[in-house]
Amino acid sequence: MKDKKISDVLLTFLLQVIVYLVVSIPFKVMEVIPGFTDIRPVTLLGPIYAVFFGPQGCLAFAAGNLITDIVSDSLRWSCIAGFIANFGGPYLIYLYWTRISKESFSLRTGKNILKHIAVVIITAVITSAIITPAVALVYPDVDAALFAVMVVLNTAAFPIVLGIPLIFLMQEELGFEPHK
Amino acid sequence: MKGMTKLQANLCLLCVTMCWSTEVIIFACIPGSVPGFATTCITSAIGSAILIASFYKRIAEAIRKSGRKLILACLFLSILNGAYNTMYIYGLKDFDVSTGAFTISMTVVVLPVILLSLRRRVELHTWLSAGMVLIGITLSLIGKVHIGQMTGFLLVLGGCLTRAVYIVFVNRFAREHDPLAVSALMTGMVAITSFGMWYFVEPRTFAAIEWNKQIIASLFIYSYFIVAFAQTINFFAQRRATAASSTVIYSLEIVFSIIWGLVLPASIIDPVPLTLSTAIGALFVVAGSLIELVDFKALLKKGAVTNEG
Repeated sequence: MKDKKISDVLLTFLLQVIVYLVVSIPFKVMEVIPGFTDIRPVTLLGPIYAVFFGPQGCLAFAAGNLITDIVSDSLRWSCIAGFIANFGGPYLIYLYWTRISKESFSLRTGKNILKHIAVVIITAVITSAIITPAVALVYPDVDAALFAVMVVLNTAAFPIVLGIPLIFLMQEELGFEPHK
Repeated sequence: MKGMTKLQANLCLLCVTMCWSTEVIIFACIPGSVPGFATTCITSAIGSAILIASFYKRIAEAIRKSGRKLILACLFLSILNGAYNTMYIYGLKDFDVSTGAFTISMTVVVLPVILLSLRRRVELHTWLSAGMVLIGITLSLIGKVHIGQMTGFLLVLGGCLTRAVYIVFVNRFAREHDPLAVSALMTGMVAITSFGMWYFVEPRTFAAIEWNKQIIASLFIYSYFIVAFAQTINFFAQRRATAASSTVIYSLEIVFSIIWGLVLPASIIDPVPLTLSTAIGALFVVAGSLIELVDFKALLKKGAVTNEG
């Protein structure tokens, strides 16, 4: 019974990483700052993995990001910070909706949608604050301010604009339950 | 599982509109030598395959339950979809990005007429909204269109009429059948019919394309976000919204197009010059949307109650 559960978790993890890679790799052709950061709609998956799959989803998100860096020849020392930030960001969203918020996760009201947007923006700023110094330290030539803004925009805009409607669809129409 | 609220459905439609507005950005990455029918065929095939692979049990159950009715509904929608896309493809060749986007917004103007012809009731605010959008379109087109573009204009108008019929029937079929099954099957049928058209204009089909990483990536991006994601969300949201409110939200595509043209680099999208008439036209479109979407009666009532209190 326990073995089955572990295999289920592993299979889900694998599927999540595959979905991440399938979405992220094509966007490597649309780079804004070559080699460092790009237009990354895949970030929409962060809050979704966190809310519906918990810590395991957060780990899959971070692993997916690391594997994308490896297969697109973008592996650098700063990827360690990237891994921590890409796990930590979604994990903070998970923590908010399971530990801090008094009500369970639901975006049926305007108030909760605004709360979720605020949480996503705050975690995007934290993610940027973790990644930017690491990149600036290893590559002093990079415009750190522009890089930081790009990370915040990527990490906040797509989960808000594309991620929230996908959450509506998953929770309200497809029957996905938030992770407790 | 309670089903989306009206607010959620409207936000989904807004997201769908935004996704559609990025089509031009993705198209910019596909060389002009790739025919429009090829793009439609390949992206629809990939989108349909993704949906069927992810939800095959649910789709099979929907087919078992609704059978021929569902297949016929999807076939009808795919024909309408193919027809308006083809008219847009050829009609828009006569216009630049901004003028073309405004012309496409005519769907919202013709929709009330289509609803009336189908003997559906049209609310006063829908007429007002359509009027505002029409003023917006007219203002933005003054001085930019000439008689030589008449063929293109008529084709786009035909496309808008067909699209309005399509929206009305999407709204109906999304309520009668499983939206996911309608989305997956309709997309599959669009792939098949557009393959036929592609074969007609270029018999060598796949062999005629000079494949490279950028083309493949762009086609996949289009398949995920415009076909599988936006279309499925659109079908589910339409189930909870009216055809009129959906069309009005779609008309906001022009606003997104103007924004992309202003903020994105010229290497990604052709810059759209923001003239005074374009800006005023866009404002009228936004105002028209607000009239349709905001429940002013309820707001006034609430205000009155608050004042009395």
